[in-house]
Amino acid sequence: MSRQLGFYFNADICIGCKACQIACKDKNHLPMGVLWRRVVNYGGGSWVQSGDIMIPQNVFGYFLSISCNHCEDAPCLHNCPTGAISKNEDGIVLIDDDVCIGCRYCSWVCPYGAPQFNEDDGVMTKCNFCYDLQAEGKNPACVDACPLRAIEFGEIEELRAKHGDVVEIEPLPKREITSPALVIHPHRHAQATGQGTGHILDMEGEI
Amino acid sequence: MHTETWALVTFTILAQTSVGSFIALGVAHYFAVRKSGIEQADKLSDRALLPIGGLLVLGMIASLLHLGQPMYAYRAILNFGNSWLSREIGFGVMFAATGAAFAFLQWRKLSTANVRNAVAVLAAFVGCALVFSMSQVYMTAEAQEGWTTVATPISFFATTVLLGTLALAVAFMINYWIIQRREGPECQAQQCDLLRGAIKWLAVTAIVVLGVELVVSSLQSAYVVSIEDHANLDFLGEYGVLFGVRLALAFVGAGIFGLFMYQASQRPGREKLMAAFAFSAFAFILVAEVLGRVLFYATEIHIGL
Repeated sequence: MSRQLGFYFNADICIGCKACQIACKDKNHLPMGVLWRRVVNYGGGSWVQSGDIMIPQNVFGYFLSISCNHCEDAPCLHNCPTGAISKNEDGIVLIDDDVCIGCRYCSWVCPYGAPQFNEDDGVMTKCNFCYDLQAEGKNPACVDACPLRAIEFGEIEELRAKHGDVVEIEPLPKREITSPALVIHPHRHAQATGQGTGHILDMEGEI
Repeated sequence: MHTETWALVTFTILAQTSVGSFIALGVAHYFAVRKSGIEQADKLSDRALLPIGGLLVLGMIASLLHLGQPMYAYRAILNFGNSWLSREIGFGVMFAATGAAFAFLQWRKLSTANVRNAVAVLAAFVGCALVFSMSQVYMTAEAQEGWTTVATPISFFATTVLLGTLALAVAFMINYWIIQRREGPECQAQQCDLLRGAIKWLAVTAIVVLGVELVVSSLQSAYVVSIEDHANLDFLGEYGVLFGVRLALAFVGAGIFGLFMYQASQRPGREKLMAAFAFSAFAFILVAEVLGRVLFYATEIHIGL
């Protein structure tokens, strides 16, 4: 079987500082509105008033740091009309911006919001797993930036053997849609996909 | 709504109208030949081929506006084997090519009628493949909860038939005027008969398909309301009025004016009335279908992130 790199993310220790998001944006020179890695804040619950005090009712919240998951069954790759999207020998899903015509269809079919349109260049862009840094033996920018060491990367089967195989956490979609190369250590208050009671709490334009 | 979305609304509506009227024209021509012979049938239908091609070309130009790199649009056919979007564009180009080939043969009366018919039938099948591919672009996008239902292909084909038949009715009326202006109001008995027969059946088709469309779009909007909770969408709150207006316009266009067209076609001497009803029916349905498509794109309900 060919190699398949993936990410591991520990939601239980993530504090939502967005250092990964910013390190990614900085390293890859991303323009306004484009974030290859995004920190999503998912939460819910409410408060009820009892006399002078407010009592929390199932209030919860957690963060997920999500980039492209370099899916094993990547819908962006199959659906791209130009064939600009391919997988390399490490299983990294890449967009060839010399071939992309900027039709944005990949952003419609990706349930992780990974492919994003670059207005300046008129093409789609996405996380390339910092393959250039990896070629120099370095880690992806997001991995090194995390002060909590919540992001790891490596051969996905090794990550699964080490950290388990959880990936269906709200607000992420069902695994079966794309078979993402992603392993999540769920937050202690995490809700399973399809059984969520919360919402994405980030402001519009924030992610 | 973004410019890109308007580009897609324009492209899908125009291309579907083009396919629908091409097929309706073929059917009308077939029955016209059986009724009055090939010469009269050609006289009824030949002129309509030009606007049908024009609609498709306009639609394809509009589709370029949603691209980041419109100059390289030809690359969109490179992944024909895997991508429905690629097939959509591929079949669009093939429909344009086969349709143009047929129009050229038909106008110049080249080759035999049988060969021309074969080319037309091929173009009609390619046109159907185009509309089907268009619907699959949305229906197979698993990350889109609002589009992955069978309502997508049904409503795309309903639009194709409704706009196709009523646009063709308008084209036939204009063609009849042109013939009258050129050849005088007399001796048009045969053309008038063919025209009345065509308008009658175009109206009946539109009325039947209107029924399908009203049922499917109502069920689809009920489905959207049922899933909108987690999508930060308030479909009826935001678009309820638009949805109601759309249904009403479609009903008046294909239902009421369609019925009037049918009535007016029953006896000769009512061509002006027939024209007025055909134009009205088309105008109402055009606005209704554009609104319907705008609503379709508004129900882009992305699962996940």
